[in-house]
Amino acid sequence: MPKLVVDGVEVEVEPGTTLIQACEAAGSEIPRFCYHERLSIAGNCRMCLVEVEKSPKPVASCAMPAGEGMVVHTNSPLVKRAREGVMEFLLINHPLDCPICDQGGECDLQDQSMAYGVDGSRFHENKRAVEEKYMGPLVKTVMTRCIHCTRCIRFTTEVAGISELGAIGRGEDMEITTYLEKALSSELSANVVDLCPVGALTFRPTAFSARPWEYKKTESIDVMDAVGSNIRVDSRGAEVMRILPRTNDDVNEEWISDKTRFVVDGLKTQRLDTPYVRENGKLRAATWDEAFAAIAAKVKAAKPERMAAIAGDLACAESMKALKDLFDKLGSANIDCRQDGAKIGGKGRAAYLFNSTIAGIESADALLIVGSDPRKEAPVLNARILKRWNQGHFRVGLVGEKRDLTYPYDYLGAGASTLGDLVAGKHDFLEVLKGAKNPMIIVGQGALTQKNGAAILAAALKIAELANAVREDWNGFNVLHTAASRVAGLDLGFLPGEGGRDVEAILEGASKGDVDFVYLLGADEIDTARLGSAFVVYQGSHGDMGAHRADVILPGAAYTEKNGTYVNTEGRVQFGRRAIFPMGEAREDWTIIRALSAVLGQTLPYDSLNALRDAMAAALPHFDAVDMIVPAHDLPSVSDADLAALGDDTSPFAVPVKDFYLTNPVARASRVMALCSAEFGAAPAQAAE
Amino acid sequence: MSLFSEIFVWWHGQTMGTRFYTWRKGKLMGTDDQGNKYYQASDGASIGGYVRRWAIYNGDAEASRVPPEWHGWLHHTVDVTPDESGYRVKPWEKPHRANLTGTPLAYRPSGSILAEGVRPAATGDYEAWKPE
Repeated sequence: MPKLVVDGVEVEVEPGTTLIQACEAAGSEIPRFCYHERLSIAGNCRMCLVEVEKSPKPVASCAMPAGEGMVVHTNSPLVKRAREGVMEFLLINHPLDCPICDQGGECDLQDQSMAYGVDGSRFHENKRAVEEKYMGPLVKTVMTRCIHCTRCIRFTTEVAGISELGAIGRGEDMEITTYLEKALSSELSANVVDLCPVGALTFRPTAFSARPWEYKKTESIDVMDAVGSNIRVDSRGAEVMRILPRTNDDVNEEWISDKTRFVVDGLKTQRLDTPYVRENGKLRAATWDEAFAAIAAKVKAAKPERMAAIAGDLACAESMKALKDLFDKLGSANIDCRQDGAKIGGKGRAAYLFNSTIAGIESADALLIVGSDPRKEAPVLNARILKRWNQGHFRVGLVGEKRDLTYPYDYLGAGASTLGDLVAGKHDFLEVLKGAKNPMIIVGQGALTQKNGAAILAAALKIAELANAVREDWNGFNVLHTAASRVAGLDLGFLPGEGGRDVEAILEGASKGDVDFVYLLGADEIDTARLGSAFVVYQGSHGDMGAHRADVILPGAAYTEKNGTYVNTEGRVQFGRRAIFPMGEAREDWTIIRALSAVLGQTLPYDSLNALRDAMAAALPHFDAVDMIVPAHDLPSVSDADLAALGDDTSPFAVPVKDFYLTNPVARASRVMALCSAEFGAAPAQAAE
Repeated sequence: MSLFSEIFVWWHGQTMGTRFYTWRKGKLMGTDDQGNKYYQASDGASIGGYVRRWAIYNGDAEASRVPPEWHGWLHHTVDVTPDESGYRVKPWEKPHRANLTGTPLAYRPSGSILAEGVRPAATGDYEAWKPE
């Protein structure tokens, strides 16, 4: 372990650490433009120059490994002069348009020029001008501002896995370009804007709308997918202006998907802001009391076994807990949170979690993906798989539809029959898994929503067993969810009780007239035409499929407007926090159910969010372990009877995310997402070669 | 302007004092299209070295009703009246538009709460869902 002295402070660092990291460890901050912890080292901006004793010249600290006995000075006159020189070179061709630049106020170049900029210019020639480049509907370019740090190129290649950005020309004439003037085809493309140290790449949808110092910043959790990316919601007044990633090495590192980031304009359109009651076939705006009275009349008339509730993909744990308790009190067992019909839950917590954890992907050395397209279902998680793949000695096998996952994989087969072959040992990829130290199996919703989903889950468990993937020190069995609410719903037992109906049976019963009352908690992805003549209550934030069919609409809060608990696909409990207040008459979701319970004469025993959270934690202790993983060890054992239903179907598994940009009511209300959907379209299956 | 309204609502036009001064010292120099009359002190009485000039409005006293050609004479920009100089209205000169301040037709900047039509978008706006 090399020991070195930085500004008089002695530090000991891991071998292979760069000088810039050693300086950080010693508490000396080094200015930089091109260096980024999560990208490869380029060493081309020269801003991180430091003085090392016995070295004839200042050295670029990002590209120099820390060596034994080095004596480093980071704020000597030589270093200051060197950095001032670099800054002067950078500013030669940088336009003086900070007042009209969207990066103004959060610009690395602006900040660092305050420390190292000289007070005047010695440059009398014309400044360079560069043509704008088209990078799609999300990334706006002002390439004259580019300082050629190449962070965007390295990000798209290494993290996003698309080689669509590059540089042409050299020296002053270097230009960052997509070569073909086409949109960046990655789900993570807008992260290049966060990485850009200047204003060359900015957000196109929110261009010129606000300044960074005007925002109120709220740390929250994303609900667009089941990863639970950590986000920062920037709001101004009563409006969410933008969403940025928050660093969490265990979940999203510092990336978020484009859907997470640009769904904000969907929070301003199609909003339910007042209760509605259907009278004579027409919805009319009503008061809360009228809406509750209409529901109470129907609930009193209906028998408990003819009532049902379905929870949607964006529901927070609090609202599901409240609705489950209400239906328990009403005596109805017909509740379900799996609106896609996945055959999962009720068999132990480990059977529906991403047990290896997202960070654990990096220690895996073989991966089998069953019926999932992680690139579309969880882009940030897919970036983690690519990160592992880039480190080498990592084989990936895929059972399901052929998709471009940004990394190569062994295509094993399309459907259940291939899985049967793997279990029977007829497929050589099982040997790859067996030979791996930490094998990993990811089961997606595309497989679990099949008719024989339970058998597919059992087969995946069997493969994990055969490959010795579940041990004391490693759990390689993973389920990748697509909905932010799903794991919380399964944890809370928002599932059909004894003799209860699941989603399919609720819809079947409603269309036949066996179910009279259906409560939709933000459930829009069901076939509402099959609800028949049932009395439908829709509680949610956006007017989508559910609201059009509803007989009573209760306006709820979107995820940026309430304090909610979400459990991600790993089983990590995280708190989303309120950035702005709900629109109009809308209220936080659990309070609506609590108020309704009083009208129905079944008052729920909690009056505050804390009381509700205490009730959740009392039933499920892991709800107290916020931001942490509580490992589950209750994987069910598999018998041959479970595998019998697997069959030898060779048709491919379903694709749960057909259009990445339009998966939930908020995204469907967003114009930017509609634009992206038009630009990139539904992902086509990878062409057969 | 009747004598009666000149006594009781004198602020709409000339006062009794102005009428008296004009009768004693005023020399009528000309009349414009709107019937406003322009006077000059007949005894050469001056203020700040300039001979005194004034207008008696035909109707409400409203400074914007003075046409440009008479405005120049009234403010000593020129010494000859438009009648004497043979002033012709140019084809590109627009006709006088009455001052609409205080009336419903007054100009409202965009963003004024009194402005008609569509309000510009503001922070916190959202589109509510409407059933069909």
